[in-house]
Amino acid sequence: MKTIFDCKLLIVDDEPELRRMVQEILGQEGFTKILSASSCREARRLLDSAKPEGVILDVSLPDGDGFSLLREFRLTSPVPVLFLSARDEDENRLLGLGLGADDYITKPFLPRELTLRLKAVLNRAYFPVVLQQQAKPVFRLGETEIDLNSGTVRSQRDCFTLTAKEYALLTKLYENQDRIVTGDSLCHAAWGDNLYGYENTLMVHIRRLRAKIEPEPSAPRHLLTVRGLGYKLVGAESL
Amino acid sequence: MKSIGKILSRYVLSAAGVALILLLLNFAALVVWTIQSGKTAQKDFSVSQLAAGLTEKDGGYTLSEEARTTIARQFQWAMLLDENGRVVWSENLPADVPREFTVSDVAGFSRWYLQDYPVRVWRHPGGLFVLGSPKGSMWKHAMEIPQKVMDNTLVWAPALLLLNGGAAVLLALLFALRFFRSLQPLAQGIEDMAENKAVRLSSRGLLSDLAEGINRTSARLMAQETALSRRDTARTTWIAGVSHDIRTPLSLVMGYASRLEEDPLLPPAAREQAEIIRRQSQRIKTLVSDLNLASKLTYNMQPIRQECIALAALLRESAADFLNSGLAEAYTLDVMIADNARNASIRGDEELLRRAVANLIANSLGHNPRGCTIQVRLEQAGANCFLTVCDDGAGFTPEQLANLSHSPDSAELPNHGLGLTIVRQIVKAHAGTIEFRNLPAGGCAVVIGLKAGPIEQRSLRPLRNSDL
Repeated sequence: MKTIFDCKLLIVDDEPELRRMVQEILGQEGFTKILSASSCREARRLLDSAKPEGVILDVSLPDGDGFSLLREFRLTSPVPVLFLSARDEDENRLLGLGLGADDYITKPFLPRELTLRLKAVLNRAYFPVVLQQQAKPVFRLGETEIDLNSGTVRSQRDCFTLTAKEYALLTKLYENQDRIVTGDSLCHAAWGDNLYGYENTLMVHIRRLRAKIEPEPSAPRHLLTVRGLGYKLVGAESL
Repeated sequence: MKSIGKILSRYVLSAAGVALILLLLNFAALVVWTIQSGKTAQKDFSVSQLAAGLTEKDGGYTLSEEARTTIARQFQWAMLLDENGRVVWSENLPADVPREFTVSDVAGFSRWYLQDYPVRVWRHPGGLFVLGSPKGSMWKHAMEIPQKVMDNTLVWAPALLLLNGGAAVLLALLFALRFFRSLQPLAQGIEDMAENKAVRLSSRGLLSDLAEGINRTSARLMAQETALSRRDTARTTWIAGVSHDIRTPLSLVMGYASRLEEDPLLPPAAREQAEIIRRQSQRIKTLVSDLNLASKLTYNMQPIRQECIALAALLRESAADFLNSGLAEAYTLDVMIADNARNASIRGDEELLRRAVANLIANSLGHNPRGCTIQVRLEQAGANCFLTVCDDGAGFTPEQLANLSHSPDSAELPNHGLGLTIVRQIVKAHAGTIEFRNLPAGGCAVVIGLKAGPIEQRSLRPLRNSDL
């Protein structure tokens, strides 16, 4: 398997139109090998015979429930599973109860959400740490180029290295680019705690970061302050 | 149980009181009667006067007219005995009375009866005057009391009274205790019923009817309770089931609408329409989820987690979420955390509180389609944290304010305004307060008050090398 798109996927849901829609969504995303099952029985059969590398599993099936089916699967296979649940309260059961599900998504869902979560699950399972290091982003902010693999900032005039905290903050901001990242979120990324007690520290680090990545640090164009909430990174172009 | 004690002490005291009063009444009656009869005795002729009415004349005896009428009226006969015991004069003497008496005869009848006639005797110059009353008209009893006893009347009379009173109290207490013992299970049963516990009293003894009545009432209450909770569960389950069933069709609507929205081959107008479909289906998702949550909160079937929540962080994240999902230009969303509330925390369910804040912000957005400024504030005053969401838009209508001030206890889901209902339910589940107000300058404010939880003691830290 070279990429996650080579994965054979199994969709288990009793609603045929939903299966078809998911198939189309995944197909458009680049997944070509997709199987579908409409009941626990069919799912067991296909799991045995076709040995899929990823499963999208509905919780409520006509001849059983997805949780017990997963327990069965887990006896013989570590295949990554993404739950499709129609109930809010399933969240607690799914996460942290050791069921062995990798993620879940509630119906109704946006296609983009489904594909993002599925890709994340598959990546975690099949392309972990080793590839992750190569997959760190390299992006440009205006005229400045930032490489998160080496932690370097290269502008026309200078070349800086990011400190560990600056790196953590910038990564967090980039991962959520064009979206507001709360001060608490940033502090969690850098220091593992809420904003309280770190207000000044954060400000100082942001100032230093701006000094390195902004052409005009005192009039930031990329690393913007959102008053009372946090910061956001705009204008990043990935390379 | 207190009331039983009161009832019984009153019972005992009244029993003692009754006994004493009776005793006193009887005593008083006795006294009165004695005085009365003494008085009437005075009014009527005494034996001595009658004896005086018998005078010697011409070798015989004559009775005065007064004496004769008195004898006839109040007594029956009279006679005079000489010193030998022979009858020398008589008036109406019945045939069965002897005409001669010995000394012992005289001793006998002067104390008791003569041939069953109650008699009275008096000294007379001619001998012994004997006055007889009709048979069966008087009952005699000789009373002899040692003089010492009579002298000590003042001691033993009150003592007797007290003793009687004490005995009455004791006996009353004894009976009261028996009564108390049979009342106690009943009282306990009533208390248990009030606390929704099942009651089964033994229906024996004095109060068996009452016990039966209580048993039946308790059974009825328990049955009602079961029926109600079963109905509540059924209702919640039904709503959960319906909301579950809605989701799959909604997934199809949202999924395809989203794909159409992002299809580059479609003309912009069509893509816009697809966007609307997608957005509205997201709204339906929220409504369905809200309905489910509201029904669970109403019937207390929603588990409430107890976590330590940092409120400032929660508010910032909620605001960021709204802004990140795209807020129209016309809206401004600000978060202001008071200095003393930067570290405020409470115990509660983080997910539910997030929901509450989100619903309040969404409410302001929804009611002001042309835009407004929304402010989210956090303040701490003493042991309470105050969370305010306010806007400068349209404000609440009077009916909305009236609706919102109704108690959220009523298990009725309102026809609309589900979002705010959920907020009220969540606040109630956290034992907090919520206030809905219109601001004088326009717009409305919703203030949630929650009890502050444990505070992590940390002050602003100075920069350290490890931070770099």
